[in-house]
Amino acid sequence: MSQGIVENLINELMRLPGIGRKTAQRLCFFILSMPEEDARDIAKAIIELKEKARFCQVCFNIAEDDECEICRDKKRDSKKICVVEEPSNLAVIERTGYRGLYHVLLGALSPLDGITPERLKIGELIERVKDNNNNVEEVIIATNPNTKGEVTARYIGGILKPLGLRVTRIAYGLPIGGDIEFADEVTMAKAMEGRREL
Amino acid sequence: MRFKTEGIVLRAFNYGEADLIVTYLTADRGIIKGFAKSPRKIKSRFGSSLEPFTHARVSFWGKEHSNLPKIVQSDIIQPFSHVREDINDFLRLSHIIELLLSLYPEGISNKKIFYLFLQCLSYLEQAAAQIFCAEVDKNALYLLFKIRLIAILGYAPMLKQCGRCGQRGLFYPSEGAVLCVRCAPIGARPMQTSKAAVSFYEHGLTWPLSNLMRVKPSADIVGELIALLDEHLRHVLGKELKTAGFNIR
Repeated sequence: MSQGIVENLINELMRLPGIGRKTAQRLCFFILSMPEEDARDIAKAIIELKEKARFCQVCFNIAEDDECEICRDKKRDSKKICVVEEPSNLAVIERTGYRGLYHVLLGALSPLDGITPERLKIGELIERVKDNNNNVEEVIIATNPNTKGEVTARYIGGILKPLGLRVTRIAYGLPIGGDIEFADEVTMAKAMEGRREL
Repeated sequence: MRFKTEGIVLRAFNYGEADLIVTYLTADRGIIKGFAKSPRKIKSRFGSSLEPFTHARVSFWGKEHSNLPKIVQSDIIQPFSHVREDINDFLRLSHIIELLLSLYPEGISNKKIFYLFLQCLSYLEQAAAQIFCAEVDKNALYLLFKIRLIAILGYAPMLKQCGRCGQRGLFYPSEGAVLCVRCAPIGARPMQTSKAAVSFYEHGLTWPLSNLMRVKPSADIVGELIALLDEHLRHVLGKELKTAGFNIR
């Protein structure tokens, strides 16, 4: 019977990304050795997340209420909106010290997968930018530096630029800590294009 | 077993946290898929070599008839990066790729298709990078590629004469051929075809793409044939292609 409970948790944990049987087994036995209170806290946090998490009605970040904490924060620079593909991208940008607002597209354009502009939160972004009450001056497009992300950025840029806003795209280039000799020609060409004066 | 081949990236699916499943069009193995470990990480050794339309020399590792060998190395031959940055080229090529994936079965080598697609990419890249003084008509290029592709794969409709008796007639997409009044099925809807469009189509079945440097079909002919072939392919495939209705503007 106890083997059934253990096996059950291992199987459930294996449903998570990047977790194979061995990792699931390790996590399972770690949970077993934890104080009951700690294990309950983990379970409670997962249930709470599933029950309360929803999309912010303004920026489509994950929120507990109608608006997320970032949109509610009046100290943030509301003149700048950073556009990202997924809510998980926000955390990395937050760590850079950026204090503007965000807009999450919930994906990127992909004709082969049938992901059209209508299936993304692009219309909502345009409405948000057009709304004079928001006083948006700059839209920073931080979609992924791959083909889908680039096409999405160019599509959004094509719509927003005629509105007289400053529309910028995050820079391409080499990762810090890498060696130039390992860079491919496309990345290097982009780094050369985006060079700046010292 | 390790094997090397030259391929063009058709599409890449995200898999797991940072992995990709990449579909290639290769000269010697047709359409094949490979699994790449962690190419989405910023410092990945694959760099941009797994981005769509990249022409690369690729090394795979796996069992001889593995459905999903591991991609162990990928060196860019031509990145075709300008094509990726043009929304309209990206849409046209996405449509072509969907067509390829729908009509051309996996694992069957066809060098003609590989070099046709490579040549098409080269022309689009040269046009995007403004290498040619006289720009190639991209819609005509796209049309000619489509005509050649379906001709090679054996799906080209007969437009010159009735497919049953050789008389003059109209094109019936549901029948995949031109049919005369006698041979046409009752209730089927025909499409009008102009003489000029049929003539361009007949020549296009065997023309190399380079002919578009000197032959410039009118926009009407191109538009007419694109509509006709889209309708024909809709019947051949029995479904609407996802990219067919993708209008960016």
